[in-house]
Amino acid sequence: MNGRTRSPVPLHIVLAICAAIVIAPIVWTVAAGFRTQISLLMGEVLFTPVWSNFSEVLWSKTSDFLLNYRNSIIVGVLSTILCVVVATLCAFSLNRLRWPSWVAHIFLAWTMIFHMIPPVALASAWFSMARTVGLENTFTGLILAHATLNLPMAIWLMAVFVREVPKELEEAAIMDGASTPRVLWHVILPLITPGVAATSILTFIFSWNEFAVALTLTMKQTATVPVAIAKFAQDFEIQYTQMAASAALAMLPALIVLLVAQRYIVKGLTQGAVK
Amino acid sequence: MAGVTIENVRKSYGAVEVLRGVDVQVENSEFVALVGPSGCGKSTLLRMIAGLEGISSGEIGIGGRVVNNVPPKQRDVAMVFQSYALYPHMTVAKNMGFSLKLAGLPADEIAQRVSRAAEILDLRPLLDRLPKQLSGGQRQRVAMGRAIVRDPQVFLFDEPLSNLDAKLRVSMRAEIKALHQRLKTTTVYVTHDQVEAMTMADKIVVMRDGLVEQQGSPLELYDRPRNMFVAGFIGSPSMNFIGGTIKKRRFVSGNGLLGHDTDISPMAGDGAVILGVRPEHLSIDTSGIEATVLVVEQTGSETTVLLDAGGTRMTLLARERLTTVPGETVRIAPDYSRLHFFDPASGLRLGGDSDVDEPGPSDTKGNTSMAPARRTSLKNGRTGPRKKLSQALEAIGIRQDRYRPELYYMRGPGPKTHAKSVGADSP
Repeated sequence: MNGRTRSPVPLHIVLAICAAIVIAPIVWTVAAGFRTQISLLMGEVLFTPVWSNFSEVLWSKTSDFLLNYRNSIIVGVLSTILCVVVATLCAFSLNRLRWPSWVAHIFLAWTMIFHMIPPVALASAWFSMARTVGLENTFTGLILAHATLNLPMAIWLMAVFVREVPKELEEAAIMDGASTPRVLWHVILPLITPGVAATSILTFIFSWNEFAVALTLTMKQTATVPVAIAKFAQDFEIQYTQMAASAALAMLPALIVLLVAQRYIVKGLTQGAVK
Repeated sequence: MAGVTIENVRKSYGAVEVLRGVDVQVENSEFVALVGPSGCGKSTLLRMIAGLEGISSGEIGIGGRVVNNVPPKQRDVAMVFQSYALYPHMTVAKNMGFSLKLAGLPADEIAQRVSRAAEILDLRPLLDRLPKQLSGGQRQRVAMGRAIVRDPQVFLFDEPLSNLDAKLRVSMRAEIKALHQRLKTTTVYVTHDQVEAMTMADKIVVMRDGLVEQQGSPLELYDRPRNMFVAGFIGSPSMNFIGGTIKKRRFVSGNGLLGHDTDISPMAGDGAVILGVRPEHLSIDTSGIEATVLVVEQTGSETTVLLDAGGTRMTLLARERLTTVPGETVRIAPDYSRLHFFDPASGLRLGGDSDVDEPGPSDTKGNTSMAPARRTSLKNGRTGPRKKLSQALEAIGIRQDRYRPELYYMRGPGPKTHAKSVGADSP
């Protein structure tokens, strides 16, 4: 009982420290985007905010940032759709279509192993594969690569959500005369919408952030945002403030998606955990 | 509507045989209850009729058509699940109309059939609600509604009432029965509750360990149980079993005499038997044997008395109120016209008005539905009537623990002789 009635202040202090650790770099990055290079390098604490970095990044004739932004959105959205569709079908199949258990186990174990391999390790392999089939420097190549990279995580997540749907519901639908695709469409999918949303958001964010494979598979016209941001660090000059401004802009979609769909993510991620 | 024929149906999962040759005939518009303890295979059998489980061997026919390889949706059967399995994202009306929508019926006909079913089940005001906004009993009715809108040949119920509270269960029981009388649809109903089976079914199929122990009308099973398992399973409180022997056409129990001078022997020769008496066929009678009252349970309309009769625990059910108190000694006597005798080795019913073969007391060949393993286990180690009784009881799933009567006495140690006889008697 003593523990319950103790003052919440120490707890709040700990939480505040944790929050600061998470937020500080973000605040610093965004703030750096509003400084001049000189102010940043001199380490001024107080500074006069300037828009120049943002306008440079967005509107300058030498900057491709808006193009990169568009590329990232195209790759992110399409690879997410592809990945989640495949993952949902796969999870449904593994859970409900009476595979021998060793098939499901080996498959899931393999996806896990694949997921643990750092993407960089396979970057050159991706490149030679894409080149062989003529998909280097195309969206198709990068979309396929991102979908593949994110599939293991998506399959694992979707498998949990599909498993949560009571088997009786599916059997009831079968008794009602539904074929397997209709069971999936009319009964399973409506019930795992939060899961699909959560998985989509995570997949999108991973694709948005992915750097190594995007760097290998793209060139100037197809480069995504992370690749573009990295280009600010050149041999002779590192444009810290422009880099920071681009990074701040790059955070926006993820931030918006998270704010809009936070409810689903929490619901989706805890759904599997509680039961 | 159609009958269901189940012929020598077996089901195994790997090496585990869940159903070991089941034959059941469900007549057109008959209400058949499958009962048995959990794990007896009754739900599996139902799911096989539905088409949700494959059939390892044997044949299942619906309306004269073998459906072994027919997918569920072409079998024209509807199933009500234990958990109701209502689609949580659909309203009541959509839940009920889902099968019709899948069948491609026009919207107005769906609406018409749903509203007719809702009328029957009193669901009209609830049609626009979601399942989570309904009470247990209402959900149950929606689940039934989903079955009846399709007007199927056969209804399958898988323990539909076990999630309801006791009071609701009784009223839903009556509703399902009324529904059956109205629609006359062939129904197969799985339950582990023998009271449900007795009250609702035209025919009861008692199952155990993947085999049918007996099938017949409720009263047939009650009056002439084919073996000790059925005798113990049907009826509540369950039947009393007393081990003993027949000597000179009189029944002598292991620890005294329970019986009287008239010829009650069901068979010609002498030998070991087990006597079965239903609690409601025991009564307080000054001509009977002595027994000590252990527990008295009053329900208002009737009285259940747990007794210690010479070391055997017995239950007596009286329709009137009894004023006995724990620790008291009373005399009890059975209704001699309603005794059951069983062979301790096979557990089979002996003599009387049994409709099955009448094997001698030690003959075990008579019954084919008994599992061989069970039979041999019963054969072994016959040392005395007491041991045989406990073996036979154990074989049907009743464990007769060595109990200590003193635990039951609320006041006073009770007659010493009885406590002693128990101690001396226990193996």
